[in-house]
Amino acid sequence: MLPERLNKVIHLLARLPGVGEKTAQRFALFLATEAGDVANHLGAELTTLLDHIRPCDRCGNLADYDGTAAICDVCRDTRRDSNLLCIVARVQDLLAVERSGAMRGRYFVLGKLLSPLDGIGPEELPLERMINRIREDKVTEVIVATPPSVDGEATALLVARELEPTGIAISRIASGVPHGGDLEFADQITLGRAIDGRKAIDG
Amino acid sequence: MTASIRFERVNIRGFRNIQSLDFEPAPRLNVISGDNGHGKTSVLEAIYAVSTSRSFRAERLAEAIQTGAEAAVVRVQVRDGDLGREQRIALEPSRRSVTMDGKRPAKLAIYATRTPVVVFHPGDLVLVSGPASDRRTLLDRLALFLDPTSGDHRLRYTRATRERQRALLERGTNASDLPAFETLMVQHGTRLQQARRESAEALGAELEPAFRKMAPSTLEFTTSFVPGGSESPEEFARELASRRGQDARRKTASFGPQRDELELLIDGRSARRHASQGQQRLLTLAMKAAELACVRAARRAHPVLLLDDFSSELDPTRTGAVYDFLEGSESQIFVTTTRSDLFPTPAVHSADRVDWTVCDGRLERG
Ligand SMILES: Nc1ncnc2c1ncn2[C@@H]1O[C@H](COP(=O)(O)OP(=O)(O)OP(=O)(O)O)[C@@H](O)[C@H]1O
Ligand SMILES: [Mg+2]
Ligand SMILES: [Zn+2]
Repeated sequence: MLPERLNKVIHLLARLPGVGEKTAQRFALFLATEAGDVANHLGAELTTLLDHIRPCDRCGNLADYDGTAAICDVCRDTRRDSNLLCIVARVQDLLAVERSGAMRGRYFVLGKLLSPLDGIGPEELPLERMINRIREDKVTEVIVATPPSVDGEATALLVARELEPTGIAISRIASGVPHGGDLEFADQITLGRAIDGRKAIDG
Repeated sequence: MTASIRFERVNIRGFRNIQSLDFEPAPRLNVISGDNGHGKTSVLEAIYAVSTSRSFRAERLAEAIQTGAEAAVVRVQVRDGDLGREQRIALEPSRRSVTMDGKRPAKLAIYATRTPVVVFHPGDLVLVSGPASDRRTLLDRLALFLDPTSGDHRLRYTRATRERQRALLERGTNASDLPAFETLMVQHGTRLQQARRESAEALGAELEPAFRKMAPSTLEFTTSFVPGGSESPEEFARELASRRGQDARRKTASFGPQRDELELLIDGRSARRHASQGQQRLLTLAMKAAELACVRAARRAHPVLLLDDFSSELDPTRTGAVYDFLEGSESQIFVTTTRSDLFPTPAVHSADRVDWTVCDGRLERG
């Protein structure tokens, strides 16, 4: 019914999170009929996106890449307390914690959560990089802000165990966030309270 | 004061063979008759689904979506003492959603215990004759009424257990993430263990007198709850750590509430293996009577009774026991049968009783 090229675009759009076949079709038709300029701009931006945007070399947040290094805004911000480090699972979670306004330190993004059932064991997590980062920055307090799911809790416990020999103070965000809930969707106040009310991890 | 729960209006769409059904049940007794395969059980299943978000006969509730329909929807008006509310469940192939007065509940456990219903159906016999898992399911359902967080602990315990087993299988007994999952197993497992014990104690206390009332006095009946794990965090942790090798080899977790058993003993012997069929049937009824009593006590309300397929086994003891329920109970009752003449109910005022006929997914008075 539709040109092959357009079908291809629909298939690609449908792979985006939260976008189903119907929405993808709506987007594609919009781009193809009403918004040619958006299509051209979007295309140009996407082609070079990955050349200019990379995970931050230090924390994993997204950052501009200048050809040699990628350092994100949070890591550049000199007003931040570099002794305080917040460990999160994903960039979305970093943004959620930032929105709460309760975090004055910096971050480390793990990229995934421990989950043997999904084939993710401890060696898939960047634990060594995390420890190097903590040493370099002379971090004295770590807050683990992984989600309150079983995998999130297990990851927090694993991180706490890895850091145990360093003697650093480690805390876990308080359980204000609903069980099984996503940090991304926790409201700012809840998340802010969860960070303020953090507790030491006892594994 | 114990309030009564009543369904005042029931609306079912796209559920099994029921295309669209809207009726106002009688406050006390609803006798639903009809030939085989016309939708009697489906009516009860729909009422159970909107009350608990589950089915009593299917593993997957989505099975109930009418062939060719996109969704099944059940909506009910409930009277709960002085309060009225609307509850609704919508089933789609890979999604189910519930609302109470138009709002989504914060927790499913809260929704599922709001409008208590107790169902009696032919498949209940597995409670006595089947594997321990069927009895654990009963204990878990009761536990929700006693401790609403118990369902959460069970789900999280189960997930942590599966994660640990996988870690053991793939990376051996020294895998560095084992302590993390074992910590979570201990945390949630001890809570689940406690909830199961409390639930077994409550059920056991009702079960023995219920059985005595129904069965000949010569039979001695006792229950005993045998925990598969421990309520002590120290002991639980120690057992997990020491069983890693064995659990990896046998590919199963050998310690924990997944091995709980509620033993039913008649004259000191396992009812599952030694009781006669008639005794098993009596015991099943006693289990349901005990469940009813526990839910009533925990919820301080008379649960709605759903009695499916009353005539399936024309067993006089069973019939007698059901009459006892009818006489003694203030619950609203829905009973299905292929023979409505089995239901002379002098104890129920005729204004409080309505007879319904199901034909091809439709319901008619009389
Ligand atoms: N998903 C579905 N879509 C449409 N029809 C279904 C679906 N699932 C079951 N049915 C049909 O619904 C009908 C009603 O089934 P139900 O179990 O409610 O009958 P019943 O009146 O309780 O019968 P019985 O007296 O034999 O117990 C059956 O004919 C069954 O085949
Ligand atoms: Mg039936
Ligand atoms: Zn950074």
